[in-house]
Amino acid sequence: MSGTSEIADVAVLGGGPAGYVAALAAAQRGARVILVEKQRVGGTCLNVGCIPTKVLTTAADLLVRCRRAGDFGLSVPQASANLAALMAYKQTTVDQLVGGVEHLLRARRVAVVHGEAQLARPGFLSVLENETISEIPARHIILAPGSVTADLPIEGRDLPGVITSTEALNLDTVPARLVVVGGGVIGLEFACIYEALGSQVTVLEMASNLLPDATDESIAKRLQSILRRRGMAIQTGAAVQKIVSGGDALKVYAGELMFEAEKVLIATGRWPNTSAIDYGELGLRMSGRAIVVDDCMATNLPNVWAIGDAVGGWMLAHKAMVEGRVVAENVTGGRRHADYRSVPNVIFTRPEIASVGLTEAQARANGVEIKVSQFLLSANPRARIHGETDGIARLICEAGSGRILGVHLLGPHATDLIAEGALAVQLGATADDLAWTTHAHPTLPEAMLEVALGFRDAAIHMQSR
Amino acid sequence: MSDYLQTTIDKFTFRVAKDRLYTSEGMWVLPVRGEGSQRVRIGVTDFFQQHNGDVAFANVKAAGGRLHPGDEFADMETMKVTVGLPSPVAGTIVEANKALELTPEVVNQDPYEKGWLVVIEVTDWEADRAKLLDAPAYLAVMQAQAEEELKS
Repeated sequence: MSGTSEIADVAVLGGGPAGYVAALAAAQRGARVILVEKQRVGGTCLNVGCIPTKVLTTAADLLVRCRRAGDFGLSVPQASANLAALMAYKQTTVDQLVGGVEHLLRARRVAVVHGEAQLARPGFLSVLENETISEIPARHIILAPGSVTADLPIEGRDLPGVITSTEALNLDTVPARLVVVGGGVIGLEFACIYEALGSQVTVLEMASNLLPDATDESIAKRLQSILRRRGMAIQTGAAVQKIVSGGDALKVYAGELMFEAEKVLIATGRWPNTSAIDYGELGLRMSGRAIVVDDCMATNLPNVWAIGDAVGGWMLAHKAMVEGRVVAENVTGGRRHADYRSVPNVIFTRPEIASVGLTEAQARANGVEIKVSQFLLSANPRARIHGETDGIARLICEAGSGRILGVHLLGPHATDLIAEGALAVQLGATADDLAWTTHAHPTLPEAMLEVALGFRDAAIHMQSR
Repeated sequence: MSDYLQTTIDKFTFRVAKDRLYTSEGMWVLPVRGEGSQRVRIGVTDFFQQHNGDVAFANVKAAGGRLHPGDEFADMETMKVTVGLPSPVAGTIVEANKALELTPEVVNQDPYEKGWLVVIEVTDWEADRAKLLDAPAYLAVMQAQAEEELKS
């Protein structure tokens, strides 16, 4: 549809991965859809999140591999980064992908309104567009406002040189020293990017371990060792209180400790972007900052739905996209329940980490009798060919049946390899199912085969423990 | 520094420190001065480290962990194998060797000194000690294990 005069079947607030996928999928199912987005479609993920960050992690990885060319008997002299050109490549990639989403929305006849939307009441969005407020009526409203950088009370966070992930995607020079506040997913990805580009990086994490709750504890611990051995400074149990400008450098204070740097990246997480919603007036049920939904993504208000980062849980684009598809069915006469069992968590550190299902600690806390199998990437031929053997695959299985409850990977291409783990968890597959699936040789996925064989202490290419 | 017993099997030389006790699995146990309590330092033997190869990661349980004899107090990864290490004693871990995170190779380079793994406060030293081997007894066990290994 081209105008907004007819009542739409669905109005979507927010054009990020949750919102645009909901819009596309609902349109695919025949609905007339309006999508309201205040900036460019694609949301945080496409514009200032997953996609631009992965351009930088990919470039950083390539740079590191070029520097290792000598190990392969190759000569790549003077491998170095041209930051301006790298940022331009990043922007081109982002623009192409945003353009792709815009094209799909046009092709599916989704009307895109550029403005700032609010839920006026069930059945109506109010939209502020060019200083004019209008109302968009729709049979169903889908709220997908996304998330914003968490604003923690750290004194000095507004000083020049103190940046968030958004600015870290647009630096014009590589800082000699970078302090990263927050050893979670975002913080560690940037730590690895700027480490490769030449910064001396210090990571300060408040918890006692890196990546709290993001992966299996032993994997997080192993990454910490790998990063430290490479020369990255990592301080856990460090709660940053204040940042002070001191001459040429910023001084970051955490308890008794002080760290100096030219740039300080605050990466302490994200919150649902719900502060503008007048939920008290609307009677919209919330849990803290998150909108409460049932497993069909319905809020407590009639025909008002919510998806993506705004409903809390894992703030992951792929989880948001699944919710977008779930809600699209539910607003077009279907009935689909969200199923989070196979949502992988992927971390583009160097080496990469990927997890799906339960961690060892979670499985034990559930009282399930489990058996853990692990396989070292050093015994995988392809990892050795890559010269990247610092890795491990861990499989958490139900003790008797061998049903796969969790898969945790650290190593090259872990974020790709986890797809097999997600499928295994989703299908309720057992270690034997995986072990009797023929895996091509010589490939990294053979690590999945071997770790599955390990459930019966039968790994072929590694001695059992 | 301790003195060593030594044996050469095929072309490999293995040392056994004389000043401590052993398990047949290749753990050594050295009583150390505790603060009003009995403590032991634990590590792996020269034969154990040569047999298992270069250590890439040594993951030791955190201080405060309580152990029964036979409970795993650490696992050690080399290129081809992860070995769980059974505790030779009952007690509580009071210290783990911090050097292992950045330089796990100390286990290979200096298994009896810098490559120690944990200090444990033992609950019943007399009972545990009775089950351990002295250096000559361990040397004999280790020689038999090494010869068995060569045959296979």
